[in-house]
Amino acid sequence: MLLFGVMILPAWNYYGAIPQGQYQLIYPANFGNRINIPEDNPTTQQGVYLGRLLFYETRLSATNKLSCASCHKQEKAFSDDRDFSLGVDFVPTTRNSMSLANLLWTRKFFWDGRVTGLEEQAAVPLINPHEMGQPLVISAKKLSGDPEYPALFKLVYGDETITGDRIVKAIAQFERTLISANSRYDQYLRKAYQPTADELKGMELFERSPQPAKGIRGANCGHCHGGAKTYNELFHNNGLDSVPIDNGIQDITGLATDKARFKVPTLRNIALTAPYMHDGRFKTLEEVVDHYSDHVQESASLSTFIRGESNEVGGKTLKLFPQEKKQIIAFLNMLTDSTFITDPRFSDPHLRVISKK
Amino acid sequence: MKIHFSLLAAVFALLLSPIFTKAQTTAQQPSVKIKGEVVTPLELKLSDLKQFEQTKVSRKDRDGKDHTYTGVLLSTILQKAGVTLGRELKGENLTKYIIIEASDGYQVIFALAELDKDFTDRQIILASEIDSQPLPTGDGGFRIIVQDEKKPARCIKMVTSITVKFAK
Repeated sequence: MLLFGVMILPAWNYYGAIPQGQYQLIYPANFGNRINIPEDNPTTQQGVYLGRLLFYETRLSATNKLSCASCHKQEKAFSDDRDFSLGVDFVPTTRNSMSLANLLWTRKFFWDGRVTGLEEQAAVPLINPHEMGQPLVISAKKLSGDPEYPALFKLVYGDETITGDRIVKAIAQFERTLISANSRYDQYLRKAYQPTADELKGMELFERSPQPAKGIRGANCGHCHGGAKTYNELFHNNGLDSVPIDNGIQDITGLATDKARFKVPTLRNIALTAPYMHDGRFKTLEEVVDHYSDHVQESASLSTFIRGESNEVGGKTLKLFPQEKKQIIAFLNMLTDSTFITDPRFSDPHLRVISKK
Repeated sequence: MKIHFSLLAAVFALLLSPIFTKAQTTAQQPSVKIKGEVVTPLELKLSDLKQFEQTKVSRKDRDGKDHTYTGVLLSTILQKAGVTLGRELKGENLTKYIIIEASDGYQVIFALAELDKDFTDRQIILASEIDSQPLPTGDGGFRIIVQDEKKPARCIKMVTSITVKFAK
């Protein structure tokens, strides 16, 4: 019989020597090199090491109980299984926790794209009173009193000073290493996997735009979700409501065009990141595909790439057959990267799993 | 009872709606910023665009039908901002391009030489009208229309900025 126990150990002692030097970010050529690393925060091995500790550090929250990982769980592709996450005060967040994968290519963050760059993003949930709820100066102070952290900060930044800026930069360095590139879809693209008939048909529907007059059926998902990364940095109103409760980007710009417009999220690991949409309203991929197929709601700011896209002449929504929906979902399941969610480089470094016979 | 409940729910939803929780911001007018390698950065609203000479370009849209778009030649706008077109478009200036960004995050680029009438007769405009009507809300205030380009992919909608850059 196997007994599992979890012990908290000082990670530094446990792991011995800390690797140092430039961190090699490895990714497939078809992801492209339009990556984002600020000049004042190069990715180093020691920086990523520290960032990983901080990503899983509960002392960065007001109650010492929550870390970034509380709402970005590795087994959920760094998302949360709740529609709205609970912060230190148990007030639900206003939008669904987003999956953290391939952020190296992301420029604008959050559902409304309101910040540019990972460093700026990481600071927000740390200090938000309904998330981790702790000013960065307090976080810096707490870590300064720790026996391990000051020396680690010295290794990364040249001296032992711990600041909010340095905390956020290290977390961002770690997050840049969260590269997911080994799903069955990636394997298919590098000719190492032969999809099933349903997966292939689903892929075809995913990519193709419907042209009912010519008898061509499609779901046109790829228009916004296409490419090797299944992520294009786009923001659209996807017809969830005619009269939305959350106005999305319009709250920032005040423009009628931007009403209820939200980020088009990555579909990578999408089978693991339920619930779906900015408000987590859909619990399953079936509900999501049903929405695009049959329930798109009309409004002035509805994306022009969704409006009138139909497999029926004059149709308002896609109108997919039940079999086609299943095929699309078979393809979406190809986007699950099990290597990513079990990669020990991304797991909680504060935990040590001890097994006994 | 059922009616009462739904009424109550409707009132509640209304109270939650941003109309009551936020200052009304929907009166904002769309605009396009011209920036980067320019002498004079500009921010043009619809009314500003009307001050320029208007050009009409016809092309097919995704609906497969011909439409007439009205707007201003990109070269005219860029020259107003002091971009190196015309006689200045030579030497290293030929390595300049513009990146056009839309509010939905979409981006496309054109080399400066694609916009200059000494290089091409093809007209590229920043349009604000389709068939003499304002663009539909979902398309934003401004759209690029590229004359005769086979695919409409660079006819970017919801334009918010045009940035002139040097290729590095």
